[in-house]
Amino acid sequence: MTVKVHLWSYFRELAGCAEVEVPMPPGSTLGQLLDELYLRHPSLAAMRNSTLVAVDVEYQGPAYLLQEQDEVSLFPPVQGG
Amino acid sequence: MRRELTLTETPIDEATWVAGRPWDASNGAVVTFSGVVRDHEPDGGIRALEYTAFERMARHQFGLLFDEAERRWPIVSLRLVHRLGIVAAGETSLWIEIVAPHRGEALAACGWIVEEMKRVVPIWKRALRTGQSGPAH
Repeated sequence: MTVKVHLWSYFRELAGCAEVEVPMPPGSTLGQLLDELYLRHPSLAAMRNSTLVAVDVEYQGPAYLLQEQDEVSLFPPVQGG
Repeated sequence: MRRELTLTETPIDEATWVAGRPWDASNGAVVTFSGVVRDHEPDGGIRALEYTAFERMARHQFGLLFDEAERRWPIVSLRLVHRLGIVAAGETSLWIEIVAPHRGEALAACGWIVEEMKRVVPIWKRALRTGQSGPAH
């Protein structure tokens, strides 16, 4: 399956794009997707410890099992207010 | 609980929002909070902040916070307005109003909403520095 990953805020500048499509085997976890993404975009890997991850509009952890049609978002710590 | 969320690129006219306050005499407390863009940070002057959002998720996460606030406190009305786009120094970027029967729950809920939104609502800002025409982190 191919997972679409949306990047937000300055992560777009780090990666040079607003979204990435990552091919993953069925049954992959969110953590495995991130490992693959960081191989393709090492500039994002430097931010790994502070990165927030959501599937659709809900925060998810690395054990989340990816489903067909899932869309993932990666972004830095939020700063509203 | 009455609830209202507005994400807008239009300046927040606080007087207009206050004039639209839902009210009846059984409520003893109204707490409002205004977050205003400072004109400086320790590392230099700021002429504006540029706010961006993952808006669909921001609306969802605000909704979850409103649900939780309603569960925790007997709030009658919660209205929140957050600016997006460029907000000049001195302008209001965030306005919150909570109406409740008593001050304790209104004050507690307002403080909690501000802290939680800064933790989970996907909105970001970048500083537009004094003397610069472009954005800077």
